[in-house]
Amino acid sequence: MTKKTLTILAASTALTAAIGVPAWSAMKAPADGSYRPFAMQSEEGAQTPPLVLASDDGDDDRRWQDGSRRGHDDDGEDDDDEEDDDDDRSAGARNPAPARTVAPPPNGLFGNGAPPQSQVK
Amino acid sequence: MKSLLAAFALTTALTLPDLAMARPVTLTTTLNDYGGDGAYLALYVTDASGDYVGSLWMAGGKSKYYKHLTDWYRATGGDTAQVNGITGASVGAGRTLEITLDLADALFEAGYTLHIDAAVEDMRDSPNEVAVPLTADGAGTPVRGRRYIASFAYNM
Repeated sequence: MTKKTLTILAASTALTAAIGVPAWSAMKAPADGSYRPFAMQSEEGAQTPPLVLASDDGDDDRRWQDGSRRGHDDDGEDDDDEEDDDDDRSAGARNPAPARTVAPPPNGLFGNGAPPQSQVK
Repeated sequence: MKSLLAAFALTTALTLPDLAMARPVTLTTTLNDYGGDGAYLALYVTDASGDYVGSLWMAGGKSKYYKHLTDWYRATGGDTAQVNGITGASVGAGRTLEITLDLADALFEAGYTLHIDAAVEDMRDSPNEVAVPLTADGAGTPVRGRRYIASFAYNM
């Protein structure tokens, strides 16, 4: 009985190794196809990119607080730059729906008439 | 035919009070030439006890900057649902923002006050830049803000 169990264990281990090692190597293989020892690959795995915080809002906010990052356009237009949109997505804070895309909030201040209209002159 | 007329009369009777209970109001805000980027403005209403009732407009679409509209933020906790559907672009220095809203009649002559908080990148935050009681007499009378707003007026 013990012999049979040992045989099954050995067979399954061999099978796992036969399938797993090539698959593992393929995943870890460098792009140039060069061979590297397993230990080196493990070490490489340890050198993961630096921790990136989910939000980098702090940088943008500093512009609003200490004046250290001036340099935006002074053309008087809306400063909602395109590149900032990525920051918003990572920040997790949801921006409000723009006017006319949804109804105004049901706060009792608005009637059921024409939707809000705005223009900047 | 009689029942059709009755139904028509009923729907008219139900609709008319609705129409009479709100009116278009134009809010006009002109900014000073303060020499900075576009201003974020929060327009909101408090009741006679000074408690926040609701928002009328948010100029500036990025919620991460709303904490600089300090009074509005304190009152709402920065809840963007408060300004869903009433948010537009920030307003540049020297520009005029004109908003037309269908506002409830009950807002006027009932002790409500319209407030504007303002904030500009790299410049000082300006909570309660403007505070005007909502009255029929006050309509059309320009009010000057404390820092960024050259004039604000509402017209009915």
